[in-house]
Amino acid sequence: MGLDIRVPLGLIFLITGGMMSVYGLITRNSGIYEKSMGINLNLWWGVAMLIFGGIMFFFGRQQKWQDDPVTPRPWERGEGPRH
Amino acid sequence: MVQVAVFHAARLCFQVPRRESCGRNELPLNHLRETVNLSSIDWLIMLVYFVFVLGIGFALKRYMRTSNDFFLAGRSIPAWVCGLAFISANLGAQEVIGMGASGAKYGIVTSHFYWIGAIPAMVFVGVFMMPFYYGSKARSVPEYLRLRFDEKTRAVNAFTFAIMTVFSSGISMYAMALLIQTLGLFHGIIPDQYIFHVSVLLSAAIVLGYIFLGGLTSAIYNEVLQFFLIVAAFAPLVWIGLKNVGGWQGIKHTLPVTMTRSWHGMEHASTNSLGVEWVGLAMGLGFVLSFGYWCTDFLVVQRALAADSEESARKVPLIAAIPKMFFPFLVILPGLIAVSVTSHMAQPAAVPVQHPQALTAAHQALPEGPGRPHGLIPVKTDPRSGREEFDTDGNAVYNYDLAITVMMLHFFPTGILGLGLTALLASFMSGMAGNVTAFNTVWTYDIYQAYINKKGTDAHYLWMGRVATVGGILLSIGAAYAATGFNNIMDALQLIFSLVNAPLFATFLLGMFWKRTTGHGAFTGLIAGTAAALVHHGLTLPDGALSGLHGGWIKVLHHYPSDMAQNFWTAIFAFSVNFVVTVLVSLVTKPRRESDLVGLVYSLTPQPVEAHLSWWQKPATLGIGVLVLLVALNLIFA
Repeated sequence: MGLDIRVPLGLIFLITGGMMSVYGLITRNSGIYEKSMGINLNLWWGVAMLIFGGIMFFFGRQQKWQDDPVTPRPWERGEGPRH
Repeated sequence: MVQVAVFHAARLCFQVPRRESCGRNELPLNHLRETVNLSSIDWLIMLVYFVFVLGIGFALKRYMRTSNDFFLAGRSIPAWVCGLAFISANLGAQEVIGMGASGAKYGIVTSHFYWIGAIPAMVFVGVFMMPFYYGSKARSVPEYLRLRFDEKTRAVNAFTFAIMTVFSSGISMYAMALLIQTLGLFHGIIPDQYIFHVSVLLSAAIVLGYIFLGGLTSAIYNEVLQFFLIVAAFAPLVWIGLKNVGGWQGIKHTLPVTMTRSWHGMEHASTNSLGVEWVGLAMGLGFVLSFGYWCTDFLVVQRALAADSEESARKVPLIAAIPKMFFPFLVILPGLIAVSVTSHMAQPAAVPVQHPQALTAAHQALPEGPGRPHGLIPVKTDPRSGREEFDTDGNAVYNYDLAITVMMLHFFPTGILGLGLTALLASFMSGMAGNVTAFNTVWTYDIYQAYINKKGTDAHYLWMGRVATVGGILLSIGAAYAATGFNNIMDALQLIFSLVNAPLFATFLLGMFWKRTTGHGAFTGLIAGTAAALVHHGLTLPDGALSGLHGGWIKVLHHYPSDMAQNFWTAIFAFSVNFVVTVLVSLVTKPRRESDLVGLVYSLTPQPVEAHLSWWQKPATLGIGVLVLLVALNLIFA
């Protein structure tokens, strides 16, 4: 399939992780982290998600054929021209 | 066959996401001890997810040129993507919620549903069965049955499967709407009495949107997103929870030993919390039910058929088995943590009334005795009066289904709470989507093309697939409302599913590995196996249950110690009867020519060429590695 799943997967983790870490930064001295035993889960987990998202996005973009829907798929090869 | 056969075992026996336990949809919103306070960041995170879900559908739309693209993702997906989808399709929120609930109620023993209840079967389907599913070019499991046996065997499988997927998808939709309502997610945004309806319609519209546009590929991609979201949301939950209760040692300290050891007391049904002995567990769950689900259910097999080569297809279940093995730590452990959290042990209003006569030996083995910690688990409230419920002994009844959600509300500050809720919503939606994609394929290829319109063009079948998607969603909505309207309909349906599903694996086992098996044999065996399951259910009854839906509706000849034991032995009987009848009928009917069975039967099919693979790339090596890990995990938590 022409769309590599790692691209949207990376993007959603980049965006969500980014939002969480920014929010974590803004609220770093607030009382909401009493729930999570004083740990700023938004900031730290947000950064972890950012890193994961970045790696996925990077490797997803490495695929050269991703925007090329006319590259024959495995079952099409050897069938001659289409369309 | 069934949506989540193994989980059905769980549901039938654990009685997990039963509607009674969640209450009706007029459930009061105030019965959670901790209120849901979402801020805009939580909403924003959920919104991002929904934008991506639909965005993936739109991005894939232009690749949907043939029915092959739509139903089988063009057989072009890499093994690891299919592998993650393979387990995610099964990991609907019913399972996430249900497994957390069972963890809270029964303990780590619940992980048997993942360990012996899935892993051996996943290794078997990958190493031995996939070459026939993928190699035969069958487009669905019922179609394999037609190639191997005959039209009537396929018809039985196709129709029962289609009906079950629609209901399973409806149950998922219902459970999601109920959870949204219980949490009061839209409280204050839309009037309370409409929350249930809006949730059903909204989830239906989104799932419809992305499958209609991107077909199976869309479903698989969203399942991969869901997989990572579940991990991203549950890993910090478990980490912070463990930190709170003093780690695994702390849990062991707080909870009875039956809850922290998976094989403790398994030699006898009365000494472990599941109420089943090891023979029933190993044969019923570990063999018949789990192989019957993971090896024959098109919902999961379809994910492997989407792989880009036979080699990849064989690796799909093996890759899936690795995260599957560790999922108990993400979904069951929060349940154990929820009951171990002592800071919140504020006893509910009524102190459990001690009934000395109830404290029999069997009772003590069950973790449900008085004095057992309940941690964060809220007391179940009566949906009508809003009062707390008590059982006949005067003990408070706890609502274990809320284990995972109260954990999130307890430990997650706003922000990451949005991520947690997104993961739950994602798993509900892909639970639905998995069923809908399996339904539209079986409908189009095995029912519409087989019996209604044999000569359509490929474009016509692609169109039909989209129509079937709309139809499947509409039927699911109907099923979701049926679940709200009739008290026992879902219990009854789950019972029927398990009866139909129980004998199925014998048919595939004989079909793939014994070339003498005939179509008449397979068909008669299947019917006889289901009948045997029905009769066995009608003649036995779990202890303490009344005749009727729980069994014994013919005459009670035998009592089982628990629902679970009855369910496992029903499956064992059904399998055995199917096996024997199929063999006997096959021996007296005419077998097919061997030349017709090449590619469909083990002894007549050339072994897959693996010469170009290094030893560590071979499926068998991967399979052995998975099994070694499985044994190690069982030893650690024995």
